[in-house]
Amino acid sequence: MTSLLLSQAANGLVLGGLYVLIAIGLSIIFGLLGIVNFAHGAFFAMGAYFGVTLYSHFGWPAVLLAPVLVGLVGMALERLLIHHLYDKEPLVSLIVTFALALMLEAATRMIWGGLGLPFNQPSFLSGIFLWGPVLITRYRFAVFVTTVAILVLLWAFLRFTPYGRILRAGSRDPEMVGLLGIRLPRVLTAVFGLGCAIAAIAGVLAAPLWTVDPTMSEGAIMPAFVIVTIGGLGSFPGAVIAGLLVGEVVTMTVQFAPGASGAVMYIFMALVLLLRPRGLLGERWERFE
Amino acid sequence: MTSTSFAATRRQVLGTAGAVGAGAATGLGMPFIRPAAAAGPIRIGLLEAKTGSIAAQSQYLVYGTKIALAEIGHKIGGRPVELLWYDEPSTQGAEQNFRKLVKEEKVVAILGGTLSSSALAEEAQAQELKIPYVCNNAAATEMTGKNCNSWTFRLNTPVDVQARMFAPFLMGYGKKWYFLTANYAFGQDIAKSFKKLLKAAGGTIVGDDTVPLNTADYSAYILKIRAAKPDMVLGGLAGDLATCLKQWDEMGMRGKIPFSEIAIGDTDLWAVGPKAATGLYTSLWWYKNPANTPAEKRMAADHLKMFGKPAADKSWMGWQAARSLFQSIAAAKSTDPHAIVAALEKWHDPDTGVSYRGFDHQMLLSNLVVQVKKKIPNKWDYFDVIATVPKNKADLNAVYGTAAEVGCHMPPA
Repeated sequence: MTSLLLSQAANGLVLGGLYVLIAIGLSIIFGLLGIVNFAHGAFFAMGAYFGVTLYSHFGWPAVLLAPVLVGLVGMALERLLIHHLYDKEPLVSLIVTFALALMLEAATRMIWGGLGLPFNQPSFLSGIFLWGPVLITRYRFAVFVTTVAILVLLWAFLRFTPYGRILRAGSRDPEMVGLLGIRLPRVLTAVFGLGCAIAAIAGVLAAPLWTVDPTMSEGAIMPAFVIVTIGGLGSFPGAVIAGLLVGEVVTMTVQFAPGASGAVMYIFMALVLLLRPRGLLGERWERFE
Repeated sequence: MTSTSFAATRRQVLGTAGAVGAGAATGLGMPFIRPAAAAGPIRIGLLEAKTGSIAAQSQYLVYGTKIALAEIGHKIGGRPVELLWYDEPSTQGAEQNFRKLVKEEKVVAILGGTLSSSALAEEAQAQELKIPYVCNNAAATEMTGKNCNSWTFRLNTPVDVQARMFAPFLMGYGKKWYFLTANYAFGQDIAKSFKKLLKAAGGTIVGDDTVPLNTADYSAYILKIRAAKPDMVLGGLAGDLATCLKQWDEMGMRGKIPFSEIAIGDTDLWAVGPKAATGLYTSLWWYKNPANTPAEKRMAADHLKMFGKPAADKSWMGWQAARSLFQSIAAAKSTDPHAIVAALEKWHDPDTGVSYRGFDHQMLLSNLVVQVKKKIPNKWDYFDVIATVPKNKADLNAVYGTAAEVGCHMPPA
């Protein structure tokens, strides 16, 4: 039993890593733009579809282009639609992006059809590691390492580069940033594209594990929202901690009470919000309070 | 948008291979007597999921229905037939759309029922609204068992019957089983039916997990299965089967412990991909089965021509269920619901030899036991047919159970 629990704990950490990657783009878009992006799951699915399509035509290296393309689609949509929402009530952005999610899912069904697209991990990442009692697959380990690398790069970018400083300042006082001569609209377009591209990376990485079909987005959007809420709206480290915790909670529930595994993340979120209404590392946002 | 009418594309499909000829062969060219009030097209409702993970299966059910419609030249008794496709977004949504089809669209009968949960609700609506309902996919046992009614006819083999057909095969692999079933009507039905048979045969349940529908990650379940070391995993995952099998392979389980399930769709396995697909399943039809009748082979050829891909088992189910309804309306020479029900009870397909049983309105069909090929040659050709059950068609009635065993007490129409 101990070895199974250790295996489940390691598995929960790896699953949490994937959840973090799904949620972090949502957290960035909310934290820097103040947009509740309900279409986040659709960009996740778009990443998977672009990845599968590029792979089938050009092989594995081309898959790397999928997040770039999704980022460009995100930037185009930001220019067409999302930027109109910056000065609106948060509820408006929720409704508009929900409609966008439905449209993107319908478009996916029209272009690729309703049938799931077969896609598996590359052969060099097939197989499992056995470290004593702990089993981890090579592919999930690679996903975890990729997630850590992306998080570190993202953190360093936001923390140490001038561009990152503009983003952080713009998220709190856009008027002041504008007065300093910085063209914030372009910056915001790039941020939305970045959030979509990170969702797409998660989609590409999830594609060999999940069924790539038009409903794929539904499996991503709710965990993403739960994690961002538990972590604290817009908090980068909060989303990381929450993602890993949710991974562990879900995995351990499967071990001891599998029937409750679908509901457990919501129960966990309710408990966290009872104790800390702004989430684990949430701050006060004047715009939303 | 919730409804789709196929009337606009009627002419495009009219020319489909041998369609009109087949219609003539079924005797549909005869004069058609109808009540004066029923002038205009014959409207038939189609209730199949347009969204959700089951939508891939329903798409093929609709393909099959369209082929059956093309076979009769889109006409019954000289009157054009109009199909109206409504969604089954949820159990409640399916009920609402059933009522809408009857009350507002004035359909004379309804085909559909992709998920067991929706189909059970639709069956109750059929009884209340007194409208013929032919269920083409759902396999929940109680549909033609304790919930049966005189307005409902069902094609798919009930879960408990499939279990009786399939369990002896699976027990050949050993009697230590792990159950992994979805937490809704279909999964619960599978668990209940197989557990009863396993216990009766002296087998052991080494694990029993109910999985929330639309689960995206199966790794924690697979770790439990790996630790339990069963002889067989009995799944009941419906639309989540592909996700589970992809992760089953990813976690190195393919070929280590056999995986099986009943009532799957070819589309489930097509979504898994040749690298990860595995398992032993029951199926009603396989497009490469040499035992297919000439009419079935013609349907498969039409499917390829019309939709550019091979017919799936669900295409056949949509086609066969629609044929039963279209031929029965033609035989009734009326769109009166009582007359259609009476004709469905007497109906016998001249080309495939199938019919509905009188006392529970269950179609009696043999099942195929199919196994995923060791080496899959292309993206469609996944299965070897390893048996037809029951072996002897004469045993069908017994396998499907007597009236007392089935528990159907049909209320009068």
